[in-house]
Amino acid sequence: MSDAEKRFDPVKLLRDVRDGSMDAWAKLTLKLTSSHEYQRLQGVIMKPTFLAIALWRKATESTMSGVLGNLNMPSREEVLMISQRLTNIEMALDDLGAGLDQLRRGTNASTRQQRSGTGRSGDNGGEARPPLSAKGEA
Amino acid sequence: MAESAPGMLEKFQTMFDNLVKVTTTKAPIGQTPKQAIWRLNKATLYRYTPVRPDEERHRTPLLLIFALMNKSSILDLRPGSSFVEYMLNKGYDLYLLDWGAPGPEDAHQDLGDYVLEYIPRAIRKMKQVSGSETFNLLGWCIGAMLSTLYGSLRGQQEGLRSLILLTAPLDFTDTDQISLARMTDERYFDVERLLSAFGGNMPAGMIDYGAKMLKPVENFVGGYTRLFDNLDNTKVVDSWHAMNTWVNDPIPLAGGAYRQFIVDFYRGNKLMNGTLSIRGEKVDLRELKASVLNVIAMDDHITPPCQSARLMDKVGSADKLELKVAGGHIGVMAGSGASKGTWPKVESWIAARSD
Repeated sequence: MSDAEKRFDPVKLLRDVRDGSMDAWAKLTLKLTSSHEYQRLQGVIMKPTFLAIALWRKATESTMSGVLGNLNMPSREEVLMISQRLTNIEMALDDLGAGLDQLRRGTNASTRQQRSGTGRSGDNGGEARPPLSAKGEA
Repeated sequence: MAESAPGMLEKFQTMFDNLVKVTTTKAPIGQTPKQAIWRLNKATLYRYTPVRPDEERHRTPLLLIFALMNKSSILDLRPGSSFVEYMLNKGYDLYLLDWGAPGPEDAHQDLGDYVLEYIPRAIRKMKQVSGSETFNLLGWCIGAMLSTLYGSLRGQQEGLRSLILLTAPLDFTDTDQISLARMTDERYFDVERLLSAFGGNMPAGMIDYGAKMLKPVENFVGGYTRLFDNLDNTKVVDSWHAMNTWVNDPIPLAGGAYRQFIVDFYRGNKLMNGTLSIRGEKVDLRELKASVLNVIAMDDHITPPCQSARLMDKVGSADKLELKVAGGHIGVMAGSGASKGTWPKVESWIAARSD
């Protein structure tokens, strides 16, 4: 064996001990947290916690709703409703945009067919006019 | 030989700098240039800037869909460790559907919204931009579940050519193997009470806690000991920092979708039983006719292999392949070995179905 191999390395030893104990700890913890008993215990803790949070939330929301109403301001529910309506409008606009795009393509294709049929010179392939650039040039 | 004093000093300086970096900053992730081409509510469709000229690019675009409860930047973690970068270099026209973070106003959103409203619209836009009538779809984790549902309900009509599923949680038969199923067992876990306590959505912190509790010591302690052991190695620290930044940045899950995951999937196993309906439409896996690549991570503790394997017997595709790879739920695509293991295999399969 070489000198380097023989040399005692306390850091490596400590690291090995640490890794070994962590491995054992991980296995033990996994066994514990995977058990139905652990899940049951977690459920027992969570149920009243969630109930308390829900009650607190309900109380603050009803108080805030009264305060906002007195200030002639929209409530949380009203703001959420507006947001949902905006999403619906966004979807309708998206469909409308896609429909218009399809229509534009259809029109371009038929124009292209007509032009190739009549053999007009200066045919640009029926492509739509490019949008205006930032400088306003076509 | 013992290190010299200046060498030791330099090493401690590096360790200190690295420690300051990981404790006080967030790593820059998801940096590959991309352009938002479509938005709906919180969702955004991005097109990655192609790096290969037109004539060297595959004709069929590829859409990436990640899970709802984590950011999609895991697909583009950092230069050199980015699936997005890898695929762009291979000549793909690449798109990413990023779900964004739902707010209280999105608490009602369910799988029907994602599968039948958002995905089809994003695909419509992608087809318009790419000029291709067919496309390939890659879903990872819950993204794979959504992609499967989409593929079964709309894939055939809308030009889905091939579907790549990564660690897809679809089968909930073997609940003894699925830790999350035990965690959400109806005897111990009241989904309605949780959602009402937190204003309708599943909070990001609870999702994160649940995922970490699947391997508590490894997640809460192991990661930091690994960092401590490599604190003088800036390359390892940078990699750790990027992953840590991503892991600790979860997003809430819309209440409607969460309720369906738990009730219809974890407890009811409705997709595999053939009883799942989305907005009144029955989801029949036999209607999934596109080519399917089902990637299963053999060391996955979040979606164990038993959750994906049975899919292959159920789908109607004639062209299907199950690919078993070494690695965990995230490591399979974002680990240090992914660029030489999973990525080339996935890419070569897609390449054969992209021209």
